[in-house]
Amino acid sequence: MIPIDIRADKLAQEMYDYGQKLGRGVENLLNAEKIDTGVTPRVEIYREDKLTLYRYQASGQVIQNRTPLLIVYALVNRPYMADLQENRSTIKNLLDAGQDVYLIDWGYPDGADRCLTLDDYINGYIDRCVDVILKRHKQTQINLLGICQGGTFSLCYSAMHPTKVKNLITMVTPVDFKTPDNMLSNWVQHMDIDLLVDTLGNIPGELLNWTFLSLKPFSLTGQKYVNMVDVLEDADKVKNFLRMEKWIFDSPDQAGETFRQFIKGFYQQNGLIEGTIKIGNRSVDLKNINIPVLNIYAEQDHLVPPDASKALRNLVGTKDYTELSFPGGHIGIYVSGKAQAQVPPAIGTWLDERS
Amino acid sequence: MSDKGVWNQDWIEVQQKYWENLTEMGRKAMGMQTPTKSPWENAMNHWWQTISPGAPDPAREFMEKILEQGKTFFRMADQFAQNLQGTAPTTDWPEALNKVLGDLQKTFTDGAQGMGTESLHKMMAFWEMPLDNWQRMVSSLSLMPGDLLRNMPHGMDFERYLSAPGLGYTREGEAQQKEILRLMMEYQRELQEYTQFFSNLGSLAVERMQQKTSQLSEDGQTIESARALYDLWIVSCEEVYGEQVMTPQYAEIHGNLVNTLMAFKKHMSQMVDENLGAFNMPTRSEIHTLQDRLQETRRENKQLRRELDELREKVDKLTTTRLSAASEKKAAPRKKAAVKKKAANNQTAASKTKARPAS
Repeated sequence: MIPIDIRADKLAQEMYDYGQKLGRGVENLLNAEKIDTGVTPRVEIYREDKLTLYRYQASGQVIQNRTPLLIVYALVNRPYMADLQENRSTIKNLLDAGQDVYLIDWGYPDGADRCLTLDDYINGYIDRCVDVILKRHKQTQINLLGICQGGTFSLCYSAMHPTKVKNLITMVTPVDFKTPDNMLSNWVQHMDIDLLVDTLGNIPGELLNWTFLSLKPFSLTGQKYVNMVDVLEDADKVKNFLRMEKWIFDSPDQAGETFRQFIKGFYQQNGLIEGTIKIGNRSVDLKNINIPVLNIYAEQDHLVPPDASKALRNLVGTKDYTELSFPGGHIGIYVSGKAQAQVPPAIGTWLDERS
Repeated sequence: MSDKGVWNQDWIEVQQKYWENLTEMGRKAMGMQTPTKSPWENAMNHWWQTISPGAPDPAREFMEKILEQGKTFFRMADQFAQNLQGTAPTTDWPEALNKVLGDLQKTFTDGAQGMGTESLHKMMAFWEMPLDNWQRMVSSLSLMPGDLLRNMPHGMDFERYLSAPGLGYTREGEAQQKEILRLMMEYQRELQEYTQFFSNLGSLAVERMQQKTSQLSEDGQTIESARALYDLWIVSCEEVYGEQVMTPQYAEIHGNLVNTLMAFKKHMSQMVDENLGAFNMPTRSEIHTLQDRLQETRRENKQLRRELDELREKVDKLTTTRLSAASEKKAAPRKKAAVKKKAANNQTAASKTKARPAS
């Protein structure tokens, strides 16, 4: 049997259809106007340097967990991914699940932030945000939810400030940075990070974009746009696509010193596994984490492979350790319909059981 | 083919004809040869030329990306369709298919001068995507276009010139110029390694596609659309790419590419700093020192403020405790006095009652 049998008339029809979809798509693109992101109402609670701490407002009459939940997002990309649009918002669904949600928006670091270190971020910014929340609620402990690199930060924070965290949730969080399937890790092993940071100062967002697109260059810079043709006729889907496109390329620069410490200490030396991470003048020992831990990972994650996250099980001191796997990718875990239905409610239930 | 949209077929056909005629007239007038583009590619280009001026910049850029990918997969389908047309379902198709795939492979192994048609070369340009992404990124980090670093002079004579020592009063400046040229050449060498790596991958991707088509045949499946063929090509490319970029060899190539570019940029930055210093202007290295010192001071300030707040809180607590203790102490004798006073009053009242005569 011929495996490729493309008849001329079918090919002509396909080309015609493609042109038609593109033609109609132009109208939808022209009408797309401004792309909004971040849909859930929120109020600013605290501001320091480029950082803003927000509290999100629940819409209904849901009984809220008395312990506030602080979301620590990665420094890479923007946190509105967790609140992308009305029907794709992890934050909205966490509120609906009865959680009192706070989030740290790191802002866009510039040249003046070049010398911010991991100590400044974790023992400085995060710790002060935690104190602000604790004071407001007259509590002594918060619940912490770290996403991706923010999860790694949350682990370090919980290990260094064990009395301030009641429950810890990590989402798509790298712990073992040298699993055999970790593409990013392989790429940085021969990079002279000192030279890179000394030369560039802050690490430009464009360099990160290039790195992430290089993980799947043909799908992410080619096929994605062809697939887009199929949804061009649907104005809402065009907006969704453009919203995601905006997020992908909305990459803040990285504070140079933090980037240096993170890539060398975590990626090149695999410090969490080797027990060599030192932040400021404190050593990070994950065995200090004796609080309940919920570790959520994505089964098809191409950025943080499942094994990179699952390594946490044997490193933390707690006996109350739970894993939740999600059948999707690194981005899908925040935005897919299935994820919205599964992940935030599961977090809510897990937290309520431990409140 | 029916259409209810604004871009109806008649309109497109009229536009296409108009553009074809106009382009042909222009070509004859300029004494140019007729291009080898396929008619559908011309049609797509014409269609886009007519509507693109009305599109805003972001939309235009986006549509051009889609259009370019569309051309890639129709180009590919066209190539396969032409070669496999008329082959017998059971006998000679493997040979025809192997010929197309073989031609594809030659575009990688023989380079731009190799065998294959223009459309094959264009299709293979798909494998330049990672390199293209790199070039764009490099351009975004520099005032110089990325291509500038691609076309540096090189060769034995040039290297000999660079290794010659500087002479006379300007020897230091000369040495610096030579060093930056040397660093540029090193970067270019690594860029060539990187390009070569992807060129080899392209060849492997064709092999993978061959395996996949054989598998399809064994499973009794057939690809009947340009889109399905394109998807198969993407899967083949991503698979091969995913395997190869995980190798230690690629880690080294990737690391060297970034490191040599950074070494070049760092040296350039040092030269700029020296010139700024000569003009008595602040240099980047001075600004870095200031930033470091300032951040250290801010760190200390924040720590001191925190300690101060904690102390203030403790003092407030202590003060509150002492005040309440003192007020309790004060309140205690008053209470005793009040009790005594009350008792005395009661006694007086009782004696008064006793003294009052019964009515």
